[in-house]
Amino acid sequence: MSAYQENFFSRGPSALARLTFFSLVAIAIMIADHRFQALAFVRLGVSVVLTPIEQLLMLPGKLVQRASLHFADQNRLVAENTALKAQVLELSAGHQQAQLIRAERKYFESLGDANKRLGDRGLVAEIIRDARNPFVRKVILDKGSSHGLRPGLAVIDGNGVIGQLTAVGVLTSEVTLSTEKDQSIPVMGLRNGLRAIAVGSGRDGTIDIPFIPVGADIQAGDALVTSGIDGTYPAGLSVATVMNVDRNPAFQFAKVSAKPVAGTDQQRFVKVLTHEELKDYPRPDVKPDDGKPVRERVVPKRREIR
Amino acid sequence: MRLPAPFGLLAGSFVFAFLLNLLPWSGVALQISPDFVLLILLYWAVQEPRSVGQGLGFILGLVMDVADSALLGQHALIYVVAIFLVQLLRVRVLQLNLPAQALHIGAILILAQAIGVSLNLSLGREIPGTWMAIAPVVGALLWPVISLVLALPRLRNRSARTIG
Repeated sequence: MSAYQENFFSRGPSALARLTFFSLVAIAIMIADHRFQALAFVRLGVSVVLTPIEQLLMLPGKLVQRASLHFADQNRLVAENTALKAQVLELSAGHQQAQLIRAERKYFESLGDANKRLGDRGLVAEIIRDARNPFVRKVILDKGSSHGLRPGLAVIDGNGVIGQLTAVGVLTSEVTLSTEKDQSIPVMGLRNGLRAIAVGSGRDGTIDIPFIPVGADIQAGDALVTSGIDGTYPAGLSVATVMNVDRNPAFQFAKVSAKPVAGTDQQRFVKVLTHEELKDYPRPDVKPDDGKPVRERVVPKRREIR
Repeated sequence: MRLPAPFGLLAGSFVFAFLLNLLPWSGVALQISPDFVLLILLYWAVQEPRSVGQGLGFILGLVMDVADSALLGQHALIYVVAIFLVQLLRVRVLQLNLPAQALHIGAILILAQAIGVSLNLSLGREIPGTWMAIAPVVGALLWPVISLVLALPRLRNRSARTIG
């Protein structure tokens, strides 16, 4: 092991000692970041310095984009315009219905004080770029904590939920897409109100729906919308469409895969829903300490079963 | 006697490599683009072992982690291990010609890539694509280019001083 000793008079710890030290520190940092999310302030600090540099680097690309937009051909613009007009018509019809429903809902809310889950306030942000990490599904937005954003907010586009803000810098923020591994959204089936959790699969364009019993009423084509029971996502936002239901009686649960309705590939602008946090989120007032440990109450003893 | 590299060249090369890494890469380009900061780190760890070592690699790795929205510490670990290996091979690498050096660097880059991939796999993530296997090859191919470009200013300096 003397090959790496560069000379006789080298001072300080050996290369191997340094390697051990730095690797251990790096691993400790990884654990702190992954398990306890303890190092958010480091990210924030470094991103403050990095953001202006990144903006500067984006400049040439933006100029080219603007120039190409300037010379965009007539036909494409006309086609886009017609499509947009049709979409406006469709949306305004939907909007009128929504107004009616909202008015009714307001009435109901005034009757009992239901929590306000409908989020209609939001902030439009532009997607600057993908995260430069092929392993993760994240995009970076051009709005940050200085615009009032905070981690945990839901992000949507014209079609439905894109994901959730997971890291917020001063001028930029990071959206974890709904397809990212283990990114989960509480959903329900629009057809029958079946509650489920949409969990990102870690592959592009697929969302898994785990823990659906084999006999559950779910079929390909079912639309899944947010159920709003988490207090993070407002209720009623489109999330995904069920693509494939694989019912194998050998397993307890069906294998359900869905396709997200929103895509970040086409969209440049998204909306961050800045609804208020549901602080008085209703919790069931069941107290676990009624003398017995919870486990004894729930699980019957084995002998009794026999 | 070889003169030490000027501080400006050292810092400038790191800034430039960092900017290259910060370019908005995406898709296949992201997968095959080598880590320029790591390449520059390896180059200076061979040429200037007194000023560039594992400590600098560790710090730059943390900065890259934030920039790439990766797990904090991931790049730091990769850089530190890669620099350790190049320190191990330094005496040998310095005696070789550029293509042979590139082979050694390529091997280190493959190992660095393997560490990154296995870290991400251990987090339950999927391999994004097979193009990733090309990145170390691209990095190794860039090694002679980097060596020549970064040696030029120093050559000029040296001849100027010997003449003057």
